[in-house]
Amino acid sequence: MIRVGADTRLSLMVAIPFFIFIGLFLIYPTVAIMTSALTPGDTFSLNGLQRALSGTYRQGFINSIALASTSALLGGILGMTLAVVLRSLERPRWLHSTLDSWSAVASQLGGVPLAFAFIAAIGTQGILTKLFSQLGVNINDFGISPTGFWGLVVVYLYFQIPLMFLVSLPAINGLRATWREAAAIMGASASRYWFRVGIPLLTPAALGGMLLLFVNSFAAYATAYVLNPGGALVPLQIRFLLQGNVISGEEDLGYAIVTWVIGLLLLSLFFLTFLQRRTLRWAQS
Amino acid sequence: MKGAFRWTFLLVLAAFFVIPMLAMARFAFQSVPVVLLTPETLLTGWSIQPILTIFSTPQALSAARVSVLLALFTISLNLVLLIPLAIVTEVKAPRMRPLLTALTLLPWVVPPIALVVGVAATFRTGAPWFLASVYSLVPFYALWAMPFTYRALDAGLQATGAKTLYEAARSMGASLPVIIFRVLLPNMTASIIAAAALTSAMVLGEFAFASLLLKETLPTFMVNFQRSDARAGLALALFVLVVTAISIGLVVRVLRKRGLNVQTTGI
Repeated sequence: MIRVGADTRLSLMVAIPFFIFIGLFLIYPTVAIMTSALTPGDTFSLNGLQRALSGTYRQGFINSIALASTSALLGGILGMTLAVVLRSLERPRWLHSTLDSWSAVASQLGGVPLAFAFIAAIGTQGILTKLFSQLGVNINDFGISPTGFWGLVVVYLYFQIPLMFLVSLPAINGLRATWREAAAIMGASASRYWFRVGIPLLTPAALGGMLLLFVNSFAAYATAYVLNPGGALVPLQIRFLLQGNVISGEEDLGYAIVTWVIGLLLLSLFFLTFLQRRTLRWAQS
Repeated sequence: MKGAFRWTFLLVLAAFFVIPMLAMARFAFQSVPVVLLTPETLLTGWSIQPILTIFSTPQALSAARVSVLLALFTISLNLVLLIPLAIVTEVKAPRMRPLLTALTLLPWVVPPIALVVGVAATFRTGAPWFLASVYSLVPFYALWAMPFTYRALDAGLQATGAKTLYEAARSMGASLPVIIFRVLLPNMTASIIAAAALTSAMVLGEFAFASLLLKETLPTFMVNFQRSDARAGLALALFVLVVTAISIGLVVRVLRKRGLNVQTTGI
Protein backbone atom coordinates (compact mmCIF):
# COMPACT_ATOMS: atom_id res chain seq x y z
CA MET A 1 0.00 0.00 0.00
CA ILE A 2 1.35 3.40 -0.90
CA ARG A 3 0.52 5.94 1.76
CA VAL A 4 -0.88 9.09 0.27
CA GLY A 5 -0.65 12.35 2.18
CA ALA A 6 -3.79 14.34 3.00
CA ASP A 7 -2.71 17.16 0.68
CA THR A 8 -2.20 14.85 -2.27
CA ARG A 9 -5.54 13.20 -1.61
CA LEU A 10 -7.23 16.59 -1.57
CA SER A 11 -5.54 17.66 -4.80
CA LEU A 12 -6.59 14.45 -6.49
CA MET A 13 -10.15 14.84 -5.23
CA VAL A 14 -10.58 18.20 -6.92
CA ALA A 15 -8.40 17.47 -9.96
CA ILE A 16 -10.00 14.18 -10.99
CA PRO A 17 -13.48 15.55 -11.86
CA PHE A 18 -11.81 18.34 -13.83
CA PHE A 19 -9.65 15.93 -15.81
CA ILE A 20 -12.57 13.58 -16.46
CA PHE A 21 -14.54 16.56 -17.75
CA ILE A 22 -11.75 17.75 -20.07
CA GLY A 23 -11.08 14.19 -21.18
CA LEU A 24 -14.69 13.40 -22.02
CA PHE A 25 -15.79 16.61 -23.71
CA LEU A 26 -12.58 17.94 -25.25
CA ILE A 27 -9.89 15.27 -25.59
CA TYR A 28 -12.11 12.31 -26.53
CA PRO A 29 -13.92 14.02 -29.47
CA THR A 30 -10.69 15.64 -30.66
CA VAL A 31 -8.63 12.45 -30.57
CA ALA A 32 -11.50 10.57 -32.23
CA ILE A 33 -11.47 12.88 -35.28
CA MET A 34 -7.70 12.84 -35.53
CA THR A 35 -7.64 9.04 -35.44
CA SER A 36 -10.36 8.82 -38.07
CA ALA A 37 -8.48 11.34 -40.22
CA LEU A 38 -5.37 9.18 -40.12
CA THR A 39 -7.18 5.89 -40.68
CA PRO A 40 -9.71 6.38 -43.49
CA GLY A 41 -11.23 2.99 -44.26
CA ASP A 42 -9.75 1.57 -41.04
CA THR A 43 -6.18 1.40 -42.30
CA PHE A 44 -3.48 3.96 -41.70
CA SER A 45 -3.04 6.32 -44.62
CA LEU A 46 -2.23 9.95 -45.28
CA ASN A 47 -4.59 10.07 -48.27
CA GLY A 48 -7.31 11.85 -46.31
CA LEU A 49 -4.99 14.54 -45.04
CA GLN A 50 -3.67 14.99 -48.57
CA ARG A 51 -7.16 15.27 -50.09
CA ALA A 52 -8.12 17.84 -47.45
CA LEU A 53 -5.50 20.11 -48.99
CA SER A 54 -6.48 19.69 -52.62
CA GLY A 55 -9.00 21.31 -54.95
CA THR A 56 -11.66 23.52 -53.37
CA TYR A 57 -10.44 22.66 -49.88
CA ARG A 58 -6.95 23.88 -50.72
CA GLN A 59 -8.57 27.12 -51.92
CA GLY A 60 -10.49 27.26 -48.64
CA PHE A 61 -7.30 27.08 -46.62
CA ILE A 62 -5.63 29.71 -48.84
CA ASN A 63 -8.62 32.07 -48.47
CA SER A 64 -8.93 31.55 -44.72
CA ILE A 65 -5.21 32.03 -44.11
CA ALA A 66 -5.22 35.15 -46.31
CA LEU A 67 -8.25 36.57 -44.50
CA ALA A 68 -6.89 35.77 -41.03
CA SER A 69 -3.39 37.11 -41.82
CA THR A 70 -4.63 40.29 -43.48
CA SER A 71 -7.03 41.12 -40.67
CA ALA A 72 -4.34 40.21 -38.10
CA LEU A 73 -1.73 42.41 -39.78
CA LEU A 74 -4.00 45.43 -40.28
CA GLY A 75 -5.73 44.95 -36.92
CA GLY A 76 -2.34 44.56 -35.29
CA ILE A 77 -0.90 47.75 -36.76
CA LEU A 78 -4.03 49.81 -36.09
CA GLY A 79 -4.59 48.41 -32.60
CA MET A 80 -1.02 49.01 -31.56
CA THR A 81 -1.02 52.52 -33.04
CA LEU A 82 -4.14 53.18 -31.00
CA ALA A 83 -2.32 52.09 -27.84
CA VAL A 84 0.69 54.30 -28.67
CA VAL A 85 -1.52 57.31 -29.49
CA LEU A 86 -3.47 56.87 -26.27
CA ARG A 87 -0.32 56.67 -24.17
CA SER A 88 1.00 59.89 -25.67
CA LEU A 89 -2.24 61.70 -24.78
CA GLU A 90 -2.35 62.64 -21.10
CA ARG A 91 -5.67 64.36 -21.51
CA PRO A 92 -8.60 64.01 -21.71
CA ARG A 93 -8.61 61.50 -18.90
CA TRP A 94 -12.03 60.06 -19.72
CA LEU A 95 -10.63 58.90 -23.06
CA HIS A 96 -8.43 56.31 -21.35
CA SER A 97 -11.16 54.62 -19.33
CA THR A 98 -13.68 54.86 -22.19
CA LEU A 99 -11.33 53.23 -24.70
CA ASP A 100 -10.34 50.58 -22.18
CA SER A 101 -13.94 49.55 -21.49
CA TRP A 102 -15.01 49.89 -25.10
CA SER A 103 -12.16 47.66 -26.29
CA ALA A 104 -13.10 45.00 -23.76
CA VAL A 105 -16.62 45.09 -25.18
CA ALA A 106 -15.78 45.31 -28.88
CA SER A 107 -13.12 42.58 -28.75
CA GLN A 108 -15.88 40.19 -27.64
CA LEU A 109 -18.38 41.27 -30.29
CA GLY A 110 -18.40 39.51 -33.57
CA GLY A 111 -20.91 36.89 -34.36
CA VAL A 112 -24.38 37.46 -35.71
CA PRO A 113 -25.13 41.03 -34.49
CA LEU A 114 -21.87 42.38 -35.91
CA ALA A 115 -22.64 40.87 -39.30
CA PHE A 116 -26.08 42.54 -39.24
CA ALA A 117 -24.52 45.88 -38.38
CA PHE A 118 -22.18 45.76 -41.35
CA ILE A 119 -24.93 44.66 -43.73
CA ALA A 120 -26.77 47.81 -42.60
CA ALA A 121 -23.66 49.91 -43.22
CA ILE A 122 -21.95 48.51 -46.33
CA GLY A 123 -24.49 46.04 -47.75
CA THR A 124 -26.18 46.74 -51.09
CA GLN A 125 -28.86 48.77 -49.26
CA GLY A 126 -26.33 50.00 -46.70
CA ILE A 127 -26.17 53.58 -45.53
CA LEU A 128 -22.52 54.07 -46.44
CA THR A 129 -23.00 52.38 -49.81
CA LYS A 130 -25.77 54.87 -50.64
CA LEU A 131 -23.92 57.83 -49.21
CA PHE A 132 -20.82 57.11 -51.28
CA SER A 133 -22.84 56.36 -54.40
CA GLN A 134 -24.41 59.81 -54.13
CA LEU A 135 -20.87 61.18 -54.08
CA GLY A 136 -20.27 59.16 -57.23
CA VAL A 137 -18.14 56.44 -55.63
CA ASN A 138 -19.18 52.79 -55.75
CA ILE A 139 -17.48 51.17 -52.75
CA ASN A 140 -18.16 47.73 -54.21
CA ASP A 141 -15.61 48.58 -56.89
CA PHE A 142 -12.99 48.47 -54.16
CA GLY A 143 -14.16 45.03 -53.09
CA ILE A 144 -15.87 46.52 -50.04
CA SER A 145 -19.11 44.61 -49.80
CA PRO A 146 -20.00 42.27 -46.93
CA THR A 147 -19.45 39.23 -49.16
CA GLY A 148 -16.09 40.21 -50.65
CA PHE A 149 -12.63 39.58 -49.23
CA TRP A 150 -11.96 43.21 -48.21
CA GLY A 151 -15.46 43.52 -46.83
CA LEU A 152 -14.80 40.59 -44.50
CA VAL A 153 -11.45 42.10 -43.53
CA VAL A 154 -13.21 45.35 -42.62
CA VAL A 155 -15.83 43.49 -40.56
CA TYR A 156 -13.18 41.42 -38.74
CA LEU A 157 -11.21 44.59 -37.96
CA TYR A 158 -14.12 45.60 -35.77
CA PHE A 159 -13.05 43.05 -33.14
CA GLN A 160 -9.39 42.67 -34.14
CA ILE A 161 -8.37 46.31 -33.48
CA PRO A 162 -9.75 46.41 -29.90
CA LEU A 163 -8.29 42.97 -29.16
CA MET A 164 -4.84 44.11 -30.30
CA PHE A 165 -5.23 47.30 -28.30
CA LEU A 166 -5.93 45.27 -25.16
CA VAL A 167 -3.13 42.76 -25.58
CA SER A 168 -0.49 45.32 -26.57
CA LEU A 169 -1.34 47.85 -23.86
CA PRO A 170 0.87 46.21 -21.16
CA ALA A 171 3.87 46.21 -23.50
CA ILE A 172 3.32 49.84 -24.54
CA ASN A 173 2.90 50.94 -20.94
CA GLY A 174 6.06 48.97 -20.14
CA LEU A 175 8.13 51.34 -22.30
CA ARG A 176 9.83 53.48 -19.67
CA ALA A 177 9.78 57.22 -20.10
CA THR A 178 13.41 57.15 -18.88
CA TRP A 179 14.49 55.18 -21.97
CA ARG A 180 13.10 57.86 -24.19
CA GLU A 181 14.73 60.58 -22.10
CA ALA A 182 18.04 58.71 -22.14
CA ALA A 183 17.87 58.49 -25.93
CA ALA A 184 17.00 62.19 -26.19
CA ILE A 185 19.89 63.22 -23.93
CA MET A 186 22.28 61.28 -26.13
CA GLY A 187 20.96 63.25 -29.09
CA ALA A 188 18.55 60.75 -30.68
CA SER A 189 15.60 62.19 -32.57
CA ALA A 190 12.10 60.87 -31.92
CA SER A 191 12.15 58.74 -35.07
CA ARG A 192 15.58 57.40 -34.20
CA TYR A 193 14.29 56.46 -30.74
CA TRP A 194 11.38 54.57 -32.29
CA PHE A 195 13.45 52.74 -34.89
CA ARG A 196 16.35 51.78 -32.62
CA VAL A 197 14.62 51.32 -29.25
CA GLY A 198 10.82 51.37 -29.33
CA ILE A 199 10.07 49.14 -32.31
CA PRO A 200 12.71 46.46 -31.53
CA LEU A 201 11.42 46.25 -27.96
CA LEU A 202 7.79 46.02 -29.05
CA THR A 203 8.37 43.50 -31.85
CA PRO A 204 7.81 40.31 -29.78
CA ALA A 205 4.65 41.79 -28.26
CA ALA A 206 3.43 42.91 -31.69
CA LEU A 207 4.07 39.52 -33.30
CA GLY A 208 2.49 37.70 -30.37
CA GLY A 209 -0.58 39.95 -30.53
CA MET A 210 -0.94 39.43 -34.27
CA LEU A 211 -0.70 35.65 -33.85
CA LEU A 212 -3.52 35.86 -31.34
CA LEU A 213 -5.57 37.86 -33.85
CA PHE A 214 -4.78 35.22 -36.47
CA VAL A 215 -6.04 32.41 -34.23
CA ASN A 216 -9.02 34.53 -33.26
CA SER A 217 -10.16 35.13 -36.84
CA PHE A 218 -9.15 31.87 -38.54
CA ALA A 219 -11.84 29.85 -36.82
CA ALA A 220 -14.47 32.63 -36.71
CA TYR A 221 -17.69 31.19 -38.09
CA ALA A 222 -20.81 33.18 -37.26
CA THR A 223 -19.89 36.46 -38.98
CA ALA A 224 -18.67 34.75 -42.14
CA TYR A 225 -21.73 32.48 -42.23
CA VAL A 226 -24.26 35.30 -41.95
CA LEU A 227 -22.48 37.46 -44.54
CA ASN A 228 -21.82 34.77 -47.13
CA PRO A 229 -22.79 31.17 -46.25
CA GLY A 230 -21.41 29.82 -49.52
CA GLY A 231 -17.98 31.44 -49.20
CA ALA A 232 -14.86 29.34 -49.73
CA LEU A 233 -13.53 29.60 -46.18
CA VAL A 234 -12.47 26.62 -44.06
CA PRO A 235 -15.12 27.06 -41.31
CA LEU A 236 -17.88 27.29 -43.94
CA GLN A 237 -16.56 24.23 -45.77
CA ILE A 238 -16.57 22.31 -42.49
CA ARG A 239 -20.24 23.18 -42.11
CA PHE A 240 -20.92 21.99 -45.64
CA LEU A 241 -19.30 18.63 -44.97
CA LEU A 242 -20.88 18.26 -41.53
CA GLN A 243 -24.40 18.82 -42.78
CA GLY A 244 -24.03 15.80 -44.98
CA ASN A 245 -23.91 17.61 -48.30
CA VAL A 246 -21.47 14.99 -49.53
CA ILE A 247 -21.40 11.51 -50.97
CA SER A 248 -21.38 8.96 -48.15
CA GLY A 249 -17.92 7.92 -47.04
CA GLU A 250 -16.71 11.49 -47.31
CA GLU A 251 -16.97 12.15 -43.58
CA ASP A 252 -13.28 11.41 -43.27
CA LEU A 253 -12.58 14.47 -45.38
CA GLY A 254 -14.20 16.67 -42.73
CA TYR A 255 -12.09 14.98 -40.04
CA ALA A 256 -8.95 15.58 -42.06
CA ILE A 257 -9.75 19.28 -42.53
CA VAL A 258 -10.40 19.68 -38.80
CA THR A 259 -7.10 17.90 -38.06
CA TRP A 260 -5.28 20.47 -40.20
CA VAL A 261 -7.11 23.33 -38.49
CA ILE A 262 -6.16 22.06 -35.03
CA GLY A 263 -2.56 21.55 -36.15
CA LEU A 264 -2.38 25.10 -37.49
CA LEU A 265 -3.88 26.63 -34.34
CA LEU A 266 -1.65 24.51 -32.10
CA LEU A 267 1.44 25.69 -33.95
CA SER A 268 0.31 29.35 -33.73
CA LEU A 269 -0.35 29.05 -30.00
CA PHE A 270 3.01 27.41 -29.46
CA PHE A 271 4.77 30.40 -31.05
CA LEU A 272 2.41 32.74 -29.23
CA THR A 273 3.40 31.47 -25.77
CA PHE A 274 7.06 31.61 -26.81
CA LEU A 275 6.70 35.26 -27.86
CA GLN A 276 4.70 36.08 -24.73
CA ARG A 277 7.54 34.80 -22.59
CA ARG A 278 10.00 37.04 -24.43
CA THR A 279 7.67 40.01 -23.93
CA LEU A 280 7.07 39.40 -20.24
CA ARG A 281 10.78 39.22 -19.50
CA TRP A 282 11.19 42.98 -19.80
CA ALA A 283 7.58 44.15 -19.37
CA GLN A 284 7.53 42.91 -15.77
CA SER A 285 11.06 43.88 -14.76
CA MET B 1 3.57 62.20 -32.92
CA LYS B 2 1.85 65.36 -34.06
CA GLY B 3 -1.42 66.33 -32.41
CA ALA B 4 -3.36 66.62 -35.66
CA PHE B 5 -2.43 63.12 -36.72
CA ARG B 6 -3.40 61.67 -33.35
CA TRP B 7 -6.84 63.24 -33.32
CA THR B 8 -7.56 62.37 -36.96
CA PHE B 9 -6.62 58.76 -36.22
CA LEU B 10 -8.88 58.66 -33.16
CA LEU B 11 -11.79 60.27 -35.03
CA VAL B 12 -11.55 57.90 -38.00
CA LEU B 13 -11.50 54.90 -35.67
CA ALA B 14 -14.42 56.29 -33.68
CA ALA B 15 -16.41 56.66 -36.91
CA PHE B 16 -15.52 53.09 -37.89
CA PHE B 17 -16.82 51.78 -34.57
CA VAL B 18 -19.94 53.94 -34.31
CA ILE B 19 -21.32 54.05 -37.88
CA PRO B 20 -22.22 50.33 -38.24
CA MET B 21 -24.09 50.45 -34.93
CA LEU B 22 -25.99 53.59 -35.94
CA ALA B 23 -26.75 52.04 -39.33
CA MET B 24 -28.17 48.96 -37.63
CA ALA B 25 -30.24 51.08 -35.24
CA ARG B 26 -31.61 53.06 -38.17
CA PHE B 27 -32.69 49.95 -40.08
CA ALA B 28 -34.25 48.53 -36.94
CA PHE B 29 -36.19 51.58 -35.81
CA GLN B 30 -36.79 53.73 -38.89
CA SER B 31 -39.11 52.54 -41.64
CA VAL B 32 -37.84 54.84 -44.40
CA PRO B 33 -36.16 53.07 -47.35
CA VAL B 34 -32.53 54.09 -47.85
CA VAL B 35 -33.35 55.48 -51.34
CA LEU B 36 -35.72 58.01 -49.82
CA LEU B 37 -33.33 58.99 -47.09
CA THR B 38 -32.60 62.71 -47.33
CA PRO B 39 -31.85 65.33 -44.67
CA GLU B 40 -35.61 66.09 -44.60
CA THR B 41 -36.74 62.51 -44.00
CA LEU B 42 -33.96 61.73 -41.54
CA LEU B 43 -36.16 62.31 -38.53
CA THR B 44 -39.36 60.71 -39.83
CA GLY B 45 -40.68 57.20 -39.51
CA TRP B 46 -38.95 56.24 -36.27
CA SER B 47 -40.74 53.83 -33.95
CA ILE B 48 -39.98 51.32 -31.24
CA GLN B 49 -42.48 48.87 -32.74
CA PRO B 50 -39.75 46.26 -33.59
CA ILE B 51 -38.84 45.95 -29.89
CA LEU B 52 -42.51 45.34 -29.08
CA THR B 53 -42.63 42.73 -31.87
CA ILE B 54 -39.81 40.82 -30.19
CA PHE B 55 -41.60 40.76 -26.87
CA SER B 56 -44.78 39.50 -28.49
CA THR B 57 -43.03 36.69 -30.37
CA PRO B 58 -43.20 33.55 -28.21
CA GLN B 59 -40.24 31.87 -29.96
CA ALA B 60 -38.06 34.89 -29.26
CA LEU B 61 -38.88 34.74 -25.58
CA SER B 62 -38.30 31.00 -25.38
CA ALA B 63 -34.98 31.31 -27.25
CA ALA B 64 -33.96 34.05 -24.84
CA ARG B 65 -34.96 31.87 -21.91
CA VAL B 66 -32.90 28.98 -23.26
CA SER B 67 -29.84 31.22 -23.67
CA VAL B 68 -30.17 32.68 -20.17
CA LEU B 69 -30.49 29.20 -18.65
CA LEU B 70 -27.54 27.99 -20.72
CA ALA B 71 -25.48 30.86 -19.35
CA LEU B 72 -26.53 30.11 -15.76
CA PHE B 73 -25.78 26.38 -16.06
CA THR B 74 -22.45 27.06 -17.75
CA ILE B 75 -21.40 29.49 -15.03
CA SER B 76 -22.45 27.07 -12.26
CA LEU B 77 -20.69 24.12 -13.83
CA ASN B 78 -17.47 26.08 -14.28
CA LEU B 79 -17.54 27.45 -10.75
CA VAL B 80 -18.17 23.99 -9.27
CA LEU B 81 -15.29 22.52 -11.28
CA LEU B 82 -12.82 25.37 -11.00
CA ILE B 83 -13.25 27.01 -7.56
CA PRO B 84 -12.00 23.96 -5.60
CA LEU B 85 -9.26 23.44 -8.15
CA ALA B 86 -8.12 27.07 -8.03
CA ILE B 87 -8.13 27.09 -4.21
CA VAL B 88 -6.21 23.82 -3.86
CA THR B 89 -3.71 24.92 -6.50
CA GLU B 90 -3.09 28.23 -4.76
CA VAL B 91 -3.04 26.96 -1.18
CA LYS B 92 -1.76 23.39 -1.33
CA ALA B 93 -0.38 22.35 -4.69
CA PRO B 94 1.22 25.21 -6.66
CA ARG B 95 2.91 22.50 -8.76
CA MET B 96 -0.39 22.05 -10.61
CA ARG B 97 -0.43 25.65 -11.82
CA PRO B 98 1.56 25.33 -15.09
CA LEU B 99 -0.48 22.28 -16.05
CA LEU B 100 -3.74 24.13 -15.45
CA THR B 101 -2.59 27.19 -17.36
CA ALA B 102 -1.72 24.97 -20.32
CA LEU B 103 -5.03 23.10 -20.11
CA THR B 104 -7.05 26.28 -20.07
CA LEU B 105 -5.35 27.25 -23.33
CA LEU B 106 -6.69 24.12 -25.03
CA PRO B 107 -10.08 25.60 -25.98
CA TRP B 108 -8.21 28.12 -28.16
CA VAL B 109 -6.69 25.21 -30.08
CA VAL B 110 -10.02 23.43 -30.51
CA PRO B 111 -12.52 26.15 -31.47
CA PRO B 112 -16.29 25.46 -31.74
CA ILE B 113 -16.18 24.82 -35.47
CA ALA B 114 -13.57 22.07 -34.93
CA LEU B 115 -15.04 20.50 -31.80
CA VAL B 116 -18.52 20.29 -33.29
CA VAL B 117 -17.20 17.83 -35.89
CA GLY B 118 -15.70 15.67 -33.15
CA VAL B 119 -18.86 15.80 -31.08
CA ALA B 120 -20.97 14.86 -34.08
CA ALA B 121 -18.63 11.95 -34.79
CA THR B 122 -18.59 10.62 -31.24
CA PHE B 123 -21.63 11.61 -29.21
CA ARG B 124 -24.11 11.66 -32.08
CA THR B 125 -23.39 8.03 -32.94
CA GLY B 126 -22.33 6.72 -29.52
CA ALA B 127 -24.74 8.52 -27.22
CA PRO B 128 -27.45 10.26 -29.26
CA TRP B 129 -29.61 10.68 -26.13
CA PHE B 130 -26.99 13.03 -24.76
CA LEU B 131 -27.37 15.54 -27.61
CA ALA B 132 -31.17 15.42 -27.57
CA SER B 133 -31.58 18.34 -25.18
CA VAL B 134 -30.48 21.88 -25.92
CA TYR B 135 -28.77 21.86 -22.52
CA SER B 136 -26.23 19.35 -23.81
CA LEU B 137 -24.44 22.49 -25.02
CA VAL B 138 -23.55 23.34 -21.40
CA PRO B 139 -20.39 21.22 -20.98
CA PHE B 140 -18.98 22.51 -24.27
CA TYR B 141 -19.74 26.14 -23.46
CA ALA B 142 -18.10 25.52 -20.09
CA LEU B 143 -14.95 24.41 -21.93
CA TRP B 144 -14.68 27.67 -23.88
CA ALA B 145 -15.41 29.75 -20.80
CA MET B 146 -12.74 27.94 -18.77
CA PRO B 147 -9.69 30.01 -19.74
CA PHE B 148 -11.08 33.31 -18.49
CA THR B 149 -12.98 31.76 -15.57
CA TYR B 150 -9.84 30.07 -14.23
CA ARG B 151 -7.73 33.17 -14.78
CA ALA B 152 -10.26 35.39 -13.00
CA LEU B 153 -10.48 33.03 -10.00
CA ASP B 154 -6.71 32.62 -9.86
CA ALA B 155 -6.14 36.40 -10.02
CA GLY B 156 -8.67 36.89 -7.22
CA LEU B 157 -6.98 34.33 -4.97
CA GLN B 158 -3.53 35.77 -5.57
CA ALA B 159 -4.66 39.35 -5.03
CA THR B 160 -6.18 38.55 -1.62
CA GLY B 161 -3.24 36.45 -0.45
CA ALA B 162 -5.33 33.30 -0.14
CA LYS B 163 -2.47 31.19 1.19
CA THR B 164 -1.92 33.52 4.17
CA LEU B 165 -5.65 33.76 4.84
CA TYR B 166 -5.89 29.97 4.75
CA GLU B 167 -3.02 29.50 7.19
CA ALA B 168 -4.32 32.20 9.53
CA ALA B 169 -7.80 30.64 9.62
CA ARG B 170 -6.31 27.17 10.02
CA SER B 171 -4.14 28.18 12.97
CA MET B 172 -7.18 29.62 14.69
CA GLY B 173 -8.84 26.25 14.35
CA ALA B 174 -11.28 26.84 11.50
CA SER B 175 -12.47 23.74 9.66
CA LEU B 176 -12.09 23.43 5.89
CA PRO B 177 -15.74 24.27 5.02
CA VAL B 178 -15.55 27.34 7.29
CA ILE B 179 -12.36 28.49 5.58
CA ILE B 180 -13.84 28.02 2.13
CA PHE B 181 -17.27 29.56 2.76
CA ARG B 182 -16.46 32.22 5.36
CA VAL B 183 -12.94 33.25 4.38
CA LEU B 184 -12.01 32.46 0.78
CA LEU B 185 -15.29 32.68 -1.15
CA PRO B 186 -16.28 36.15 0.15
CA ASN B 187 -12.90 37.35 -1.12
CA MET B 188 -13.59 35.95 -4.58
CA THR B 189 -16.86 37.77 -5.31
CA ALA B 190 -15.26 40.18 -7.78
CA SER B 191 -13.64 37.31 -9.68
CA ILE B 192 -16.88 35.36 -9.73
CA ILE B 193 -18.87 38.33 -11.03
CA ALA B 194 -16.26 38.96 -13.72
CA ALA B 195 -16.22 35.32 -14.81
CA ALA B 196 -20.02 35.17 -14.81
CA ALA B 197 -20.43 38.28 -16.96
CA LEU B 198 -17.81 37.18 -19.49
CA THR B 199 -19.38 33.73 -19.67
CA SER B 200 -22.84 35.22 -20.23
CA ALA B 201 -21.49 37.37 -23.05
CA MET B 202 -19.88 34.31 -24.65
CA VAL B 203 -23.01 32.16 -24.33
CA LEU B 204 -25.28 34.93 -25.68
CA GLY B 205 -23.03 35.20 -28.74
CA GLU B 206 -22.06 31.60 -29.51
CA PHE B 207 -23.48 30.63 -32.89
CA ALA B 208 -21.35 27.98 -34.65
CA PHE B 209 -21.75 25.12 -32.18
CA ALA B 210 -25.46 25.61 -31.51
CA SER B 211 -26.28 26.13 -35.16
CA LEU B 212 -24.42 23.05 -36.40
CA LEU B 213 -25.99 20.85 -33.71
CA LEU B 214 -29.38 22.30 -34.75
CA LYS B 215 -30.18 23.80 -31.34
CA GLU B 216 -32.34 26.89 -31.01
CA THR B 217 -30.57 29.45 -28.85
CA LEU B 218 -30.83 33.21 -29.06
CA PRO B 219 -28.13 33.64 -31.76
CA THR B 220 -29.44 30.84 -33.99
CA PHE B 221 -33.01 32.08 -33.56
CA MET B 222 -31.85 35.59 -34.45
CA VAL B 223 -30.62 34.54 -37.89
CA ASN B 224 -33.93 32.89 -38.83
CA PHE B 225 -35.97 35.66 -37.25
CA GLN B 226 -34.12 38.31 -39.25
CA ARG B 227 -35.02 36.48 -42.47
CA SER B 228 -38.74 36.60 -41.67
CA ASP B 229 -38.88 40.02 -40.01
CA ALA B 230 -35.81 42.04 -40.95
CA ARG B 231 -36.45 45.02 -38.67
CA ALA B 232 -37.36 43.05 -35.55
CA GLY B 233 -34.36 40.80 -36.20
CA LEU B 234 -32.04 43.79 -36.23
CA ALA B 235 -33.69 45.20 -33.12
CA LEU B 236 -33.12 41.89 -31.35
CA ALA B 237 -29.45 41.87 -32.44
CA LEU B 238 -29.04 45.40 -31.16
CA PHE B 239 -30.70 44.45 -27.88
CA VAL B 240 -28.30 41.52 -27.40
CA LEU B 241 -25.37 43.79 -28.26
CA VAL B 242 -26.41 46.29 -25.62
CA VAL B 243 -26.85 43.58 -22.98
CA THR B 244 -23.41 42.17 -23.84
CA ALA B 245 -21.83 45.60 -23.77
CA ILE B 246 -23.34 46.36 -20.37
CA SER B 247 -22.23 43.06 -18.84
CA ILE B 248 -18.65 43.41 -20.11
CA GLY B 249 -18.57 47.07 -19.15
CA LEU B 250 -19.59 46.00 -15.64
CA VAL B 251 -16.73 43.51 -15.55
CA VAL B 252 -14.18 46.16 -16.46
CA ARG B 253 -15.53 48.41 -13.72
CA VAL B 254 -15.51 45.69 -11.06
CA LEU B 255 -12.03 44.57 -12.02
CA ARG B 256 -10.60 48.05 -12.05
CA LYS B 257 -12.19 48.91 -8.71
CA ARG B 258 -10.63 45.83 -7.11
CA GLY B 259 -7.34 46.32 -8.93
CA LEU B 260 -7.51 42.78 -10.29
CA ASN B 261 -5.23 41.97 -13.16
CA VAL B 262 -7.60 39.97 -15.33
CA GLN B 263 -7.53 40.09 -19.10
CA THR B 264 -11.01 40.02 -20.61
CA THR B 265 -9.36 38.49 -23.66
CA GLY B 266 -8.86 35.20 -21.80
CA ILE B 267 -5.22 34.76 -22.75
